[in-house]
Amino acid sequence: MLKPEVLNKLRAVVGNSHVLSEPEDMIVYSNDATILSAKPEAVVQPANRDEVAAVVKLAARYNIPVTCRGAATCLSGGTIPLKGGIVLELTRLNQILKIDKVNKIAVVQPGVITFDLITAAGNAGLLYPPDPSSMKESTLGGNVAECAGGPKGVKYGITRDFVLGMEAVLSDGSIIQTGNAVDGDMCGPDWTMLLTGSEGTMAVITSITLRLVPLPAVKKTMMAVYDRLEDAAKTVSVTMAAGIIPTTLELMDNLSIVSVEKYLKIGLPVKAGGLLLIEVDGVLSTVEENARRVSEICKQCGATEVKIAQTPQEAEDLWRARRSINPAFGQVAPCKFAEDATVPRSLVPVLVEKIMSIQEKYDVPIFNMGHAGDGNMHPTIMFDKRNKEQMARAEQALDEVHIVTLELGGTLSGEHGIGCAKAPYLRAETGATGYKIGREIKQAVDPLGILNPGKMFFYEGKLH
Amino acid sequence: MNKQERRQLIEQEIVKCSRCGNCRSICPVFLAENNENTTPRSKARLLEAVLENDIELTAGVQQRFEKCLFCKACLTHCGSGVATDKVILAARTAAAERNGISPMKKLAFTGLRYRKLFDLCLRAGALFQHVIFKKLPDGRGRAPRILLPGAGLNQRRIMPDMTVSPLRTRLPEFIPAKKADSQGTVLFFTGCMLNYFYPQTGDAVVNILTANGWNVVIPAEQCCCGTPAFTSGDEATGRVLAEQNVQAIGSKKYDHIVTACASCGAALKEEYAHILGDSPLLAASQNVAGKVLDITQFVLQHCDLTKLGKVPLKVTYHDPCHLVRGMQVSAEPRQILQSIPGLEYVEMKDASRCCGAGGSFSAVYYELSRHINDKKLDNAANTGTDYCITGCSSCRMHITDGLTQRHSPMKVLHTAEIISMAYEAGGKEGETC
Repeated sequence: MLKPEVLNKLRAVVGNSHVLSEPEDMIVYSNDATILSAKPEAVVQPANRDEVAAVVKLAARYNIPVTCRGAATCLSGGTIPLKGGIVLELTRLNQILKIDKVNKIAVVQPGVITFDLITAAGNAGLLYPPDPSSMKESTLGGNVAECAGGPKGVKYGITRDFVLGMEAVLSDGSIIQTGNAVDGDMCGPDWTMLLTGSEGTMAVITSITLRLVPLPAVKKTMMAVYDRLEDAAKTVSVTMAAGIIPTTLELMDNLSIVSVEKYLKIGLPVKAGGLLLIEVDGVLSTVEENARRVSEICKQCGATEVKIAQTPQEAEDLWRARRSINPAFGQVAPCKFAEDATVPRSLVPVLVEKIMSIQEKYDVPIFNMGHAGDGNMHPTIMFDKRNKEQMARAEQALDEVHIVTLELGGTLSGEHGIGCAKAPYLRAETGATGYKIGREIKQAVDPLGILNPGKMFFYEGKLH
Repeated sequence: MNKQERRQLIEQEIVKCSRCGNCRSICPVFLAENNENTTPRSKARLLEAVLENDIELTAGVQQRFEKCLFCKACLTHCGSGVATDKVILAARTAAAERNGISPMKKLAFTGLRYRKLFDLCLRAGALFQHVIFKKLPDGRGRAPRILLPGAGLNQRRIMPDMTVSPLRTRLPEFIPAKKADSQGTVLFFTGCMLNYFYPQTGDAVVNILTANGWNVVIPAEQCCCGTPAFTSGDEATGRVLAEQNVQAIGSKKYDHIVTACASCGAALKEEYAHILGDSPLLAASQNVAGKVLDITQFVLQHCDLTKLGKVPLKVTYHDPCHLVRGMQVSAEPRQILQSIPGLEYVEMKDASRCCGAGGSFSAVYYELSRHINDKKLDNAANTGTDYCITGCSSCRMHITDGLTQRHSPMKVLHTAEIISMAYEAGGKEGETC
């Protein structure tokens, strides 16, 4: 527990009702969307930048760890307070400060729900493309800190590609402005990029300047159905090689299709080995041409059926299917390791096959699906944690997924972050020198080591 | 359900929760409070800690379980299919056994067990309500003169007028069909709200049924359906009431059972089987469950829609949680409203989101429930309609309260009342032809 003296000072900053310290609160705030858990000693809910700075200053003075959190939908343990201390919940900073239609820029606080920005931008005729499946509950601060992706990543890129600048509180409570609202900002090293994806280990984000793009005039959504999952995966690389860049290329295997269908009952092809959910957007002529060419490629690669949504409702149904995979896992087993193994897109078919064999080898169900278009796959390993033997097999399978991904020249995280869940493998990806530099950069920016300690380069367990 | 069974149910359900946070986007309490403690995933997490002996079932845990409207939104939204409602019910029961429930609730639920005494108290209440409440000039109900926080009476809160002659006292047990050739007999389970607060809704139901050739039987022995008791964790009282009702219904001859209260309907249809798990009356309750229809379902299936007359009103519809998610009734009221000639129907945004009433929830957390209600009122106002139609008296009471606070001219009607108006109008049109 924090000393009463510290709790009182925190209360003086944010108000009595925004410092939670009961044992029940500590349990509730010990988790994110992983099965990992560690209790904080207090939860503090600041309302603005100055309160954030004051809280961080207090933490620095008393050497208390600070772990930031938005909606805690994180899938790598990023918001778990491994070392106790303060959980800094930033959801009260939830204002969209500006949408600049002319310069196509949005300025938001970190607690804004991703979907709320997408909606507000849409109302202004603009698009904020990053759309993680958790967008209806996840926050932009978390999206930036973990560098979230989403189905539209193929064409538009991931969160990283939209962050122009930010305001953040450093570990001593001082405030830094990075970047600029100007697209062509080239003033020295990219500090903004250093903080993006730093998972709350370097600074507390208090405001973000994001790039927006014009809302596409039209889009077409289609579904290609395959007998064999491998053929669906092959379609991805053939399409990209043909020079067509769809907005999305989502892959679902049979297990995903069947589970989602059980949940949504919208008539998905439950006998298919795999399917691709494809969307193309832009101006009418290009969209029609691309849709035609994509559907030809699908058929060449072995699609048994290519269905183009004729109404917005049909398109929405297909999207609902994709978005529902995450919640539908529960149909198969109660617990999961939701991974984001990411490889160069040409290697998606190889990764898919390797995951199929891992599934067989360890005899655990694995959902073989993901944002195949940018190589960001989501193999999801299912188990019941009450069955220790099965959980051990699931952990071995998880190990192997990470190793296979790295062997293919891929990366541990396409969008979920490293946190503590994937930290044991981080050195294997960065190499010993890269790992050392990673530690040194963090030490330079957060010399006290109070921001999200025990994560990423400061993981204290065994390294691969 | 015994302790062992309860533990098994909780274990089996909460292990499914992946803590994905999906419920954050749908839980009305969370959306109003923006506090992780109120999310369903946190309730699952707390119970996990209880099962792991990390924490006892403290008053703090119990209080966190109180902050749920039982709107079941998380239930239909959760892909892992965690039966949140059953988990929360089990947790509340276990907590009530360990820590007890509030003295006010305890008194009320004990009173509920004694049907005749309860009836007497409420009728006496109707006679003396002017002592505590003053009547509002616009006829929308009464406002408390004095603050009674323990009874959930905020000084601002508008309550419906209690009737001095409750529905069941006024109506005979058997009411014959208005047509000579009767189609059969419908058992009408009135529930407390219709009986004591909105008897006009009860009259409307009887009108609809008899005008369509159905005899109506209203068992005098029926009592409160038990929802307030068992959702508060007082399973024993819930069980006593469930048994009393199953016996009262079983002693009558009927073809269908009709309810016009979403909570009563859902209780008879879904919850009794759960509460009466090992009771000798379980089989009888399942027989009852199979015959229950909401009045709108009954109208669509067994009444003549071509006889609906003109009702020139502009209306929107609010889905009561226990109708849309408890009884899966949402298309029926809309279909009926849209078949009433002259009626203009406008759908409101988020029509199925909870209005914040939640029975005793709005008594304990009045300000919070008003806050949740505000969203509903905004959405209703944006339709530009004059009436908000709904199938639940509790929603009606809460929405009316909100509208009155806002000085909005919009009025609230029960679906059965507007259907009855349409049949009356149809009858008159018939006469003039």
